[in-house]
Amino acid sequence: MRHGSAARRRQTREALNGAMSQRFFEHWITETLRLRESLWGPLEDSAEAGLARAGDGNFPERVAHRARLLAQREGLDTVVQRWRQAARIVLIAFMVLAVLAGASAAAGALGNGTRPVNLAMAIMGLLGLNLVTLVLWGLSFAMRGGDTGSLLADAWLNLTRKLARGPDAALAPRALLEILSRQKATRWCAGVLGHGVWVIALVSCLATLMALLAVRRYSFQWETTLLSPDTYVWIVHALGALPSLLGFPQPSADIVRASGNVQSLPESAQALWSGWLLGVVAVYGLAPRIAALAISLFVSRRRLSRMTVDASLPGIAELHDRLMPPSVSTGVDAPAPQPVLPGTGRHAGRVETGRRCVLGVELPEDVAGPLLEAARNAPSTSAEASDHDTPSGITDLGVIDTREQRRQVLDALRSRPAERLLVACDARQTPDRGTSALLSELRTLSQAMQVCLLPADAEARRAQWQKLLLQTGFEPDQIAASTHAGMTWLMEDRNPEAPST
Amino acid sequence: MNNAARSLRLAVVGHTNTGKTSLLRTLSRDPDFGQVQDSPGTTRHVEGLRLMMGGSAVIELFDTPGMEDGMALLDYLDQLAEPGVRLDGPERIQRFLDSPESHRRFEQEARVLRTLLECDAGIYVIDARDPVLGKHRDELAVLASCGHPLLPVLNFTHSPDLRIDEWRSALSRLGLHAVVEFDTVAPPLDGEDQLYDKLALLLDPHAPTLRAMKRDIAEQRQQRHADALLLVAEMLIDVAALRLSTPAEPPAMEEAAERLRRLARQREARGIDALLKRYNFRSADFPQHSFPLQGERWDMDLFHPQALKDFGIQVGKGMAAGAMAGATVDMFTAGISLGAATLLGAAAGGLWQGADKLGRRLLGKLRGYQELTVDDAVLRLLAMRGLALIAALERRGHAAHGPIEIEELIDDRAEALRKEQLPEPLLEARASPEWSTLLEEHYQPSNRRNQAVRKLATELGA
Repeated sequence: MRHGSAARRRQTREALNGAMSQRFFEHWITETLRLRESLWGPLEDSAEAGLARAGDGNFPERVAHRARLLAQREGLDTVVQRWRQAARIVLIAFMVLAVLAGASAAAGALGNGTRPVNLAMAIMGLLGLNLVTLVLWGLSFAMRGGDTGSLLADAWLNLTRKLARGPDAALAPRALLEILSRQKATRWCAGVLGHGVWVIALVSCLATLMALLAVRRYSFQWETTLLSPDTYVWIVHALGALPSLLGFPQPSADIVRASGNVQSLPESAQALWSGWLLGVVAVYGLAPRIAALAISLFVSRRRLSRMTVDASLPGIAELHDRLMPPSVSTGVDAPAPQPVLPGTGRHAGRVETGRRCVLGVELPEDVAGPLLEAARNAPSTSAEASDHDTPSGITDLGVIDTREQRRQVLDALRSRPAERLLVACDARQTPDRGTSALLSELRTLSQAMQVCLLPADAEARRAQWQKLLLQTGFEPDQIAASTHAGMTWLMEDRNPEAPST
Repeated sequence: MNNAARSLRLAVVGHTNTGKTSLLRTLSRDPDFGQVQDSPGTTRHVEGLRLMMGGSAVIELFDTPGMEDGMALLDYLDQLAEPGVRLDGPERIQRFLDSPESHRRFEQEARVLRTLLECDAGIYVIDARDPVLGKHRDELAVLASCGHPLLPVLNFTHSPDLRIDEWRSALSRLGLHAVVEFDTVAPPLDGEDQLYDKLALLLDPHAPTLRAMKRDIAEQRQQRHADALLLVAEMLIDVAALRLSTPAEPPAMEEAAERLRRLARQREARGIDALLKRYNFRSADFPQHSFPLQGERWDMDLFHPQALKDFGIQVGKGMAAGAMAGATVDMFTAGISLGAATLLGAAAGGLWQGADKLGRRLLGKLRGYQELTVDDAVLRLLAMRGLALIAALERRGHAAHGPIEIEELIDDRAEALRKEQLPEPLLEARASPEWSTLLEEHYQPSNRRNQAVRKLATELGA
């Protein structure tokens, strides 16, 4: 249901756009949104970005998609539409003015028929401004400055800016100028506008001329103080050369000379002059403008057709990883299980009194050495049992690492459980469940056990070790702080009142 | 089914707390993937990830829980083996997965193995600081029985206390000769390339995909760098072209200078945000206030003289201090000499429009107004900070914690920025106040500005 109405709204919008191509409008919207985001911060776009990502396509397409959705949401597309309407109104006003201006220029040049028409003044009045502005437009290409290169286009832009309402309203023309300038089409589009208006004015001027010449009687003459009649003949023939190729009449030299004094001119000469005048206006006024218009149209169309979204613009480059994410998470397989630590069995069974053992678990060389040194040199206590392999009476079970070593030590302890067992672990490594299981098992094979975390100055993972040991069922006082503390505990007599010899 | 057509599936396995999730964050450029903590058993489920190339998924990676009890598992596998029945590796693993303990004691390991069985290969992550222990060898034995190629990745290779040689020889003895050296905190520039190259060696049918991915990553990196330079160039042009006109009395000038500084700071902040977003880092990674540089702290403020000294930029004698710090008073003569061309252009193109702009400035001058612009030294600092940030972002992996650290730039380009004349596009920008987007009422879009931005970006990157 929602899809249908969205599609219908889209269709109406497209119908409203009319002549303007949908693509150009999209670019305009994208640029308007980009400006808005760069001025007032990025918009909240998680839904729209998600839709854009889901919609496939390459990066520029996704940017445009997101811009379309956000513009709809924020009402930016209505802003642009409203500006276009205002612009159209101003343009129509210009065109009406142009018609009136052309007509009044023609009427002014010819006058009301009571006085003879001064040919030179007529031509300057009809063509002067047109030629000057045309030359300026041509020069504007050579120079750097100026906004759009066309006075009319600038005036049009300023008027539309003044008519716009609302904070977003200024974005629409600015966005338009930005996209045109990026395509280097500003001058040409402005040219289309300027030349178009001029063409309308000139057509209206020609039409008015023809109408007036058809219904009123005019007489043409030239006047001069400085120049000679021959100069005028030359000027008239020079100007009339091109129009005569198109079929406009060309007054002969005699008629030109005779026109210095209007009384002696036949009716047909006036008709010749009017034809000549129309030809000059058409060829030197209208035709260059039509040519300029055609060139502007052609170039601007070609440049605009190449319009793309520039992916490295500020405001768009930042969206790259958001719309074309380098990776997408696909979720987890199942909720995490509760960690299962092996059971905390207590020791059961006999114990061999006086058997004190020290054991290293996965200790590297630099730590195992000092530990075993300390074990060898610990002060000896009682002189019990004979098979002690260290002078201090501590049994060194070695350092266990592989499966076989573990099995051997566990077997040895099973056959001869220890009264006190000191286990040293590497505090620099990460404690894991396997170690926890091993320590648990060792605890069942000794009456009292302490774990010593070496080296004593390794702080980084000590907290993790302590957490794991507590989870495995050790008490805090079963964690020895250093080799010395561990050795002291190991060498403590169980029975302090034991006689010493 | 055609293996090569389906996307490549890789399981990232290893002992607990070796940086598997961090590796995936780095490869996926996603700082929010999974959970990372320096403790065992952080990841306890299998999380999937698809690497995209050109909008479609190409490689699927699976983050797995760490192996914690490999020795006991191997014992259990032996226990499950019936005498007289010979099973190959994957069959043994399957038998284990059907056993009761795979849901109890070895549930974590079972998830890992189930994932690895369904993938094309495994990436075995190793903490290069750990010693080579029996439990690691047992883990590798179990993982290798799944019957898929394993590529060991040595992680944390940029830390002290490494045991790389130990590991390499131990892995060789197990038949694993292709090894990748990596570091998820400060990834080596060719780390990803190594990874994809060696995967291509191990997985021949998928080699084209992997090579294409490697190429795509390199292209993306270049694109990011180019975009970043353009962002910095835009920022520099905006600030260089900024021009405020003010009456010539001290209080008004100080106020205008304060406004100038505020606009410049805001523009730098926006530029930094844009750069962070482009590299897919969060703003929180780069706090706006002081950040440490080689032990020194300095004020983030663009206009603090210490900031200039820290980057080795000479503070000229004429540079104003105190309330006027950072602002240069334009004598207007500089403006008009460079503006002569503008004047001509204005006359030819838009007569009254150009005169209007110039006229406004002339009028201002007649009324005794001065024009303030941002000091050259501050522009240099802005450029160097921008480039230093880009360099730091290029080096940083997405698994890194802690704030981004900026290092001083020591290369020819930095020297040129410090000592030589400002780049030409910046000089042109100084004479074109309509190029600054910071003052909306004066801004005009122009093609020349776009060209200048591009040229400046190229010069900064050279």
